[in-house]
Amino acid sequence: MRRLTIFVLVSAVTALAAAAPALAQTPKRGGVLRVAEREAPSLDPHLSISFLTHSYVSLVYSQLVRFPNGPEQKSPTDFSILPDLAEKWTVSRDGKTYTFNLRKGVRFHNKPPVNGREVVAEDVKYSLERFVAKSGFNTRFEPVVGIEAVDRHTVRITLKEPYAPFLNHLANPSFCVILPREAEEKFKDFNHPDALIGTGPFVLKSYDKGVRVVFDRNPDYFMKGLPYLDGVVIDITPDAAARLSVLRAGKAELPHIWGWISPEEAKSLKKTSPEMVVQPYQVIGQGFIYMRTDQPPFNDVRVRRALSLAIDRKAWNDALLFGEGCIDAGPVPCALKEWKLDASALDPAQAKALLGYDPTEAKRLLTEAGLGKGFTTPMFHWPGYVPPWRSYYELAADNLGKIGVTVELKPEEYGKYISTTQLGKYEKMAMGPSTPFTEVDDFLYGRYAAELPTNLSHVADAELHKMLVAQRREMDPKKRKQIVDDIQRYLADKAYYIYVPQWPQYVAHPPYVKGFQHHDGYGLGMRLAYTWLDK
Amino acid sequence: MKRYILRRVGLAIPTLFLVSVIVFGMMRLMPGDVVTRMVEGHGYAPTLDALRRDLGLDRPVHVQYLDWVGGIVLRGDFGRSYWTRQPILDEFLRRFPVTLELAALTILVSVVIGVVIGIVSATRQDTAADYLGRVFAILALSVPYFGLAVLVVVLPSIYFKWTPVWTYVGITRDPLENLKIMLVPALVFGVTRAGPIMRIMRSALLDVLRQDYIRTAWSKGLSERTIVLRHALKNALIPVITLIGLQMPLYIGGSVIIEAIFRLPGIGLFFFEALTKLDYPVVQSVNFIVAALVVGLNLAIDLSYAFLDPRIRYR
Repeated sequence: MRRLTIFVLVSAVTALAAAAPALAQTPKRGGVLRVAEREAPSLDPHLSISFLTHSYVSLVYSQLVRFPNGPEQKSPTDFSILPDLAEKWTVSRDGKTYTFNLRKGVRFHNKPPVNGREVVAEDVKYSLERFVAKSGFNTRFEPVVGIEAVDRHTVRITLKEPYAPFLNHLANPSFCVILPREAEEKFKDFNHPDALIGTGPFVLKSYDKGVRVVFDRNPDYFMKGLPYLDGVVIDITPDAAARLSVLRAGKAELPHIWGWISPEEAKSLKKTSPEMVVQPYQVIGQGFIYMRTDQPPFNDVRVRRALSLAIDRKAWNDALLFGEGCIDAGPVPCALKEWKLDASALDPAQAKALLGYDPTEAKRLLTEAGLGKGFTTPMFHWPGYVPPWRSYYELAADNLGKIGVTVELKPEEYGKYISTTQLGKYEKMAMGPSTPFTEVDDFLYGRYAAELPTNLSHVADAELHKMLVAQRREMDPKKRKQIVDDIQRYLADKAYYIYVPQWPQYVAHPPYVKGFQHHDGYGLGMRLAYTWLDK
Repeated sequence: MKRYILRRVGLAIPTLFLVSVIVFGMMRLMPGDVVTRMVEGHGYAPTLDALRRDLGLDRPVHVQYLDWVGGIVLRGDFGRSYWTRQPILDEFLRRFPVTLELAALTILVSVVIGVVIGIVSATRQDTAADYLGRVFAILALSVPYFGLAVLVVVLPSIYFKWTPVWTYVGITRDPLENLKIMLVPALVFGVTRAGPIMRIMRSALLDVLRQDYIRTAWSKGLSERTIVLRHALKNALIPVITLIGLQMPLYIGGSVIIEAIFRLPGIGLFFFEALTKLDYPVVQSVNFIVAALVVGLNLAIDLSYAFLDPRIRYR
């Protein structure tokens, strides 16, 4: 009995101790959060693929399903699927039919011409069909063969084949927000600020172009009690130095739409404003050297392995990323932990080809491939990417030069780079970052499937292709993970892409900003719905 | 006079036609393509083709040109941005006053600083004041205005938790608040532009002060203040005014960076962003409007001569 009493007492004290910070952290309602950020190039989520566009409009729109945010998320790359406008859904046994049941009584913002009418299945059908017709991201819906409004609150989506990434794409705010048809009918598209009518946590109040965008709390938001903030203001601030200065000066709570600052800025901010919260996150990101593997000399695996062995990733990490970067950055990015096969699980010889540094061995491989005297190659790139990219290009040229490969750096204007090199239209070799996708399929099928423009290295590998297709058709997550692991083992020493270290991203805000958790899922609306101000 | 005006207006037409052809052609010669820029490598052929159709880029180039020019000439319609799909003229008219105000304040600041230091330097030649003035001029010439702007924005934020970056308020809404917002950018930009004005002012004034008529003025026993301000300054200002005229493109061009750093919603930033996004109609129309304004301004200046100097007659 005495033991039990002690146990109860200890448990109660422990519980109280655990609850104390939680009680102290009870979210407060009110306040306006100010963000310093560049202007979004447009507001129509289907006519722009800019993350700025999708972050801005994610305050206003909802999706069928969504990624977790705030207290719901286990990590910034937690891509589990939660209900949003759909309260539940079922997937047929063959994985080809998805049926979504919508929440009843959810209303669009009370603005003309929609005037707060209820969201119905036809809105979902209209929005997803518009996505397929107009969005630059619409290849994500390539397997979709039918979208049907079964009744007022039920939507059925039919696929031609099982497609494991489908729910992830539906949950991505860059792709599948739900829009009201009347707004397009009145304003022609969703670019006009008055057309920005959704069901999300915030309502657009005013948009003074080039100056400021003001959002008010949506009092009728279907997640009761959210958002905590009274509003959000985006002050258009094109210059990065000015964005950090307004954070320091207390004129903004976030110096970037996601609160991001670079590693250098983080070091400086910690020194000059020690009161600021500066939190590092391992975010999804990837950078690589890519080359024409369908043409000599890069069609010889020995040459590609030599290039990989020439890159001193640890030195790059130490010199440019303060030792905080991730060296094992591909083919699945470090941050996609759910799918990543750690290098320690690879055969050591394979792991060496993926991550190792051995210039002597690299030279031997080049000699074996008949290129003992080295060769010259251009390296196309866009020099405007954020630091440390410019240093990356130079380091790559320097490292490859040490094994006899003379790299001629070829900077390109962004328009040209994006419409040629980034579509695989280049000679010999190029270098740059990858879009941070939320689905592992984009890093595997997207980068390695033959004939895709995102297959930048022009890989055509029949054995690999079979596995790439198999992983996207496998609906059992465990079995899919096994295939993804097999793909990573298979790719380790092929060196189709030469992966370079990935840096952590820092998120900065004043200490009174609470509940703001970074998530790699592009949406800002739900992140801010859970954010509150402790002042 | 009437015939002269008609002839000048007649001459403006081929000038503007050439401008329209050049800006239209230059945009098409830029590397890259707006549609692929919009989808940044993600869109596949059918989406890209649909977007091209949507923007009218599937039509032959000469049809696109005639459509654009026809819109301007026949309906005063300068087209819509490819990205925001909003009318360009509305955006231009909203933003142009900001850039004009910045340019006017910058000229005011640079002239006041440059002329005053120039006068002090010339009248106190080879004294400490002169050396200080010359050091200032060299500094102002050698410090890039964008570097100074970043320092002015960043340093106070580090040491005083303050920064001269505000959210823009229009002059008609709140003139005092507007002046507070515009003053620091105009000071930064104006100080760096004051260097050349100071140097020209100094050398021109030194030259004038050695003229015979100034010596006569001295011999008449006039005060230094009267000699410098009433007799010498007017003549010495002529090269300064010429220099300000020559610097005008710098005031407009430099506004791009100043507007970005101090978050001013002016035309410079609008144009620059359109250029990087390959937003053809915006770049073409902004260029065309500015060219038309310059042509109109030149015409107005030429005509004003007749009023200023009755000896000038137009035929």
